[in-house]
Amino acid sequence: MKRTPRLHWISILLGLLVLMCVVSFHAYAAIRPEPVRHAGERHELPDGTLALAFHGGPDPKWTPRTLERLRAAGVKATFYVTGAQVTRHPDVARQVVAEGHRIGIDGFRAEGDLADPLNLALAQAALADALGVHTRLVGAPEEVDSGDREHQDMGTLVRMSLRERKGVIRLHDNGSIGGDIVRELAKEPGYRFALVSDEIPVEASSRERFTGAVTTWSQRNGGLVLALFGTAIGIAALLGLLRTLMQLGLAHTDRRLRREGAQEPPPWFAPPVSVVVPAFNEALNIAATVRSIAANDHLADVEVIVVDDGSTDGTAEVAQGLDLPGVTVIRQSNQGKPAALNAGVRAASHDVLVLVDGDTIFEPGTVGQLVQPFADSGVGAVSGNAKVGNRQGLLGRWQHLEYCAGSNLDRQILHALRCIPTVPGAVGAFRREALADVGGVSDDTLAEDTDLTMAVTRAGWRVAYRPEAKAWTEAPVTVQGLFRQRYRWSYGTFQAMWKHRRALVERGPMGRFGILYLLAFHLLLPLLAPVMDLFVLYGFLVADAPLALIVWTVFLLIQTASAGYALRLDGESLKPLWAYPLQQVVYRQLMYVVVIQSLITALHGTQLRWMSVRRTGRLLDAPGGTVPVT
Amino acid sequence: MQVFVDRTGGRRVAARLVSWTVASGLIVFAAVVGGTLLGAW
Repeated sequence: MKRTPRLHWISILLGLLVLMCVVSFHAYAAIRPEPVRHAGERHELPDGTLALAFHGGPDPKWTPRTLERLRAAGVKATFYVTGAQVTRHPDVARQVVAEGHRIGIDGFRAEGDLADPLNLALAQAALADALGVHTRLVGAPEEVDSGDREHQDMGTLVRMSLRERKGVIRLHDNGSIGGDIVRELAKEPGYRFALVSDEIPVEASSRERFTGAVTTWSQRNGGLVLALFGTAIGIAALLGLLRTLMQLGLAHTDRRLRREGAQEPPPWFAPPVSVVVPAFNEALNIAATVRSIAANDHLADVEVIVVDDGSTDGTAEVAQGLDLPGVTVIRQSNQGKPAALNAGVRAASHDVLVLVDGDTIFEPGTVGQLVQPFADSGVGAVSGNAKVGNRQGLLGRWQHLEYCAGSNLDRQILHALRCIPTVPGAVGAFRREALADVGGVSDDTLAEDTDLTMAVTRAGWRVAYRPEAKAWTEAPVTVQGLFRQRYRWSYGTFQAMWKHRRALVERGPMGRFGILYLLAFHLLLPLLAPVMDLFVLYGFLVADAPLALIVWTVFLLIQTASAGYALRLDGESLKPLWAYPLQQVVYRQLMYVVVIQSLITALHGTQLRWMSVRRTGRLLDAPGGTVPVT
Repeated sequence: MQVFVDRTGGRRVAARLVSWTVASGLIVFAAVVGGTLLGAW
């Protein structure tokens, strides 16, 4: 296998981190803490000298009016601004500077919001972006309060401002009265006006300007990013809901139709069957697989053809050593599963072909059940019901839940829509004529089962689902093994979808429903769903934690209920449901990773080869308990 | 030849180029912004 692309994970993780920072910063900047007056040092001014210090701006309505009053009085003042407000109204801040007034910093979101050096840095960054400067005027010095927040009477305000006959006068430019006080003070005889500091702001560094541009963009556009997140979540939630509704509705209808069919069952169909078992390094499982097939109770001949695809672990010897009647072992050099299947099909003598993986256990009635839909001459393929045979441990339980609540329920829906896209390699049957119509099993994709099923459907054959045809398969027991298996499935499914993309414009259920279903629920939903998790995380950490918890719990309950229904439909115990909530915080994310990795691999055009999964040969949950190894 | 497989190698080179550009751009971006703010902090 060529090295699969990995660099995109750095971009994705960093990109998500940046987006999280953007929306978090947006939310942070929107919070206005209680203003705290800065306890600055006393700034000694000569008698009769006043320095006007404005706070609370820049304000789009009142600051220009204050500037007008200052201009009329010929007075220069110092404006202590907040960084977030400068970002909201940079033009007003620029007007302040353009008219020769000084700019100082009061804080980031409110006056006094600079106890944390980070807030001061954010405020300086806002100034750097809007004005291109870095100011050393941080926090006002000790002030004489004009009382413009508490009083309205102009005489009182002027008296309060002049009570020390000198000093830094505290005013506000986010209201009308500040400018009016200036007008009155300017009329008072014996006073002159000075700036709080003569120090001119320095030019901001390029790093500070860049940071300012980023924080400004975040503050302004965080809402837009949040809206995009919201849209993605809305689509994901709608898709999730739609899938749940379809699951509940169609699976129920499918079951009802089956029950009605069972009341007047058609005559039992018992054609002779060839079972093809392709196997590569399946020495641990092959004996149990072949024995279980040979022990079938089908009413006609069942031949078993094991195709050993160049195994190095003695798979062929194990199969041959069983010495079971009707079992043939073919050996070939390692050519891949499609070639092994084709070899088996060529060697098979019957027209109904059951294709089964070398790690699967059949129940005695599986073969008989699986071939029943072939009584209808329009059926070209039949999917059986694959079940996890090793459900011990969390990983086994999760996969069991996914097989029931995901794959099998999907299959019931798609059966009702007559567009099953995958007859699983673990348990499926094909009519020889259908296989011939599509030129056998192709090696164009890594999901040869999906590719073959889509081809058969496009060729005009119906694909049926027979839930009673149960087969027990060994699920991966390690996270790495699970990843490899799902990576192959997911990538292979995308390959098959791309290969059969023309089905979208063809008449027939595959295009209209099958590929659209896969696109919506196997590509779009897993790509959008991580945004939902991210949003919940954002809700917990930044926004409304109780609301986020409620939303997340409601979704979890809906999904758990849906999974419970799926287990019931499949005749399974509800006990493993306890593991379902945990599945949502580990397993689901692994599946996202798989889908994203598959998509990137497809874009890169990397050639993937079959990725084998380590076998244990322990299918403890399959009928018969522990499977003998030989 | 499997579906999606890049026959000429050109797509893989282009994809890698895009990957490297995006990843390094994001790393520089995060380092500058994060560095400035953390430095001030």
